[in-house]
Amino acid sequence: MMDVKRRYVIPGDIIVTGPLRAEQNVYQDGDRIIATSVGISEIYENAVRVIPLTGTYIPKTNDLVIGKVVGTSPLSWEFDINSPFIGFLPAQDVFGRDYSPTKDELRQRLNIGDLVAARVANFDRSRDPLLTVQDRDLGKIESGELVEISPSKVPRLIGKRGSMIQTIEMATKAMITIGQNGWIVISCEDPEGLLKAIEAVKMVDALAHTPNLTERVKSMLGVPEGEYNDTIND
Amino acid sequence: MGSVILDQLKRDRILDLLKEGKRVDGRALEEQRQLSIETGVIPKANGSARVKLANTEVITGVKIQPDKPFPDLGDKGILICTAEILPLADPNVEPGPPTEDVIELARVVDRGIRETEMIDLHQLVLKENKSVIGLFIDSSIINADGNLFDACSYASVAAILSCTVPKYEIKDEAPVLVEGVTSKAPVQTLPVSVTMARIGDYIVVDPTTEEEACMDSRITITTNSEGNICALQKGGSNGFTVDQLVRCSEIALSVGTKIRKRLEQLMQDGKE
Repeated sequence: MMDVKRRYVIPGDIIVTGPLRAEQNVYQDGDRIIATSVGISEIYENAVRVIPLTGTYIPKTNDLVIGKVVGTSPLSWEFDINSPFIGFLPAQDVFGRDYSPTKDELRQRLNIGDLVAARVANFDRSRDPLLTVQDRDLGKIESGELVEISPSKVPRLIGKRGSMIQTIEMATKAMITIGQNGWIVISCEDPEGLLKAIEAVKMVDALAHTPNLTERVKSMLGVPEGEYNDTIND
Repeated sequence: MGSVILDQLKRDRILDLLKEGKRVDGRALEEQRQLSIETGVIPKANGSARVKLANTEVITGVKIQPDKPFPDLGDKGILICTAEILPLADPNVEPGPPTEDVIELARVVDRGIRETEMIDLHQLVLKENKSVIGLFIDSSIINADGNLFDACSYASVAAILSCTVPKYEIKDEAPVLVEGVTSKAPVQTLPVSVTMARIGDYIVVDPTTEEEACMDSRITITTNSEGNICALQKGGSNGFTVDQLVRCSEIALSVGTKIRKRLEQLMQDGKE
């Protein structure tokens, strides 16, 4: 890792002065780079960003999200995607191009309360995000347990190159689907593994801002020292 | 409230666990959540209490002031319970006029206190048909995680137990405050409400928001210190069988006794 300077910042704090690139949650005023949210600032490879400590989920095109059906209209489903925006899944996406509101019943495919893994197909902040389930591993989630964490902690749960999530999955034999919106579905044949995986995910959520988290999660899960070390430590 | 849509996975899990006699949070079916009662939390109110039922949190304040009696109840003091769910308490609550659920909540709490005759309202009369003392019991829900009925009820009862009633005298047809003289509220019995939800064939005590979202029907039973059922409210679109109702009333008495002991302690010591 290159030289990374981390510091807690609040909105308005001047993180650094100099010819650096402004990335997430910062803005540039002349040559000053100023934070716009509460979090940890990072300066790396000539760029500056702030990793927020809290925050809602703002959809981004291509994000994988977990949604909950909260309503239907004649042409689409409405999804709660843990965001100020409501996700829309057009009926054609599930029924195909010959969908007809008179012939097909939306609720027979996806009913209120069903959980769905979907991808954000399009979103530009002026209209509600459009979802799609036209991809491998997308669609209705039939089993597992939903765990909610803060959307800003999702990158930490995934870890560098997926190190954190791999550790948890390997140690508990669980299958974990992470929605970028902070909703996570964990399924595991073994009930004990399920409980451990849930505990680990919640631990990451609670301690996301602390260093050496992967090691701590490993010790919580009882992974022997040095195991799974092909992944990079944080 | 009431608009919570539970995801299907959670619903299945709740139903599966009930078949084994378990609940999502590890409680037994007839077990209440951790209850804490704290009184005197609002120094400027005549009486106040903060009640926590795990994540459900309520603050209740009592305001006492002289008032005109109701025209048909000239020989009784005034007792009014209200409730409000603050928008910060729950993502589904918006500011604005109270919804049906909140009105129901306030009325169930009010009925519990009124019908058990917890307070001897006759003692609150200053001059018959002209002037009485009024008790205004306002509950604010700080955090909502199910079973607001019981939380508000316990908070209201605890707030009444903790309150000091200022003394008023009638002078020239008008009530005048007598400085420095206070008394306890004229309490005769301790109402304890117990709310149960029916999910399928199972009766669970003290339902959480998740359990409320998948319950078929709900019942709140308020008993007095003698163990009589004094008030009852059924909610939800489904019903109960006769056997289930009998079971519910038994549960209300057995669970209620434990809560009443804590309230009695509160009455004796002024604190738990």
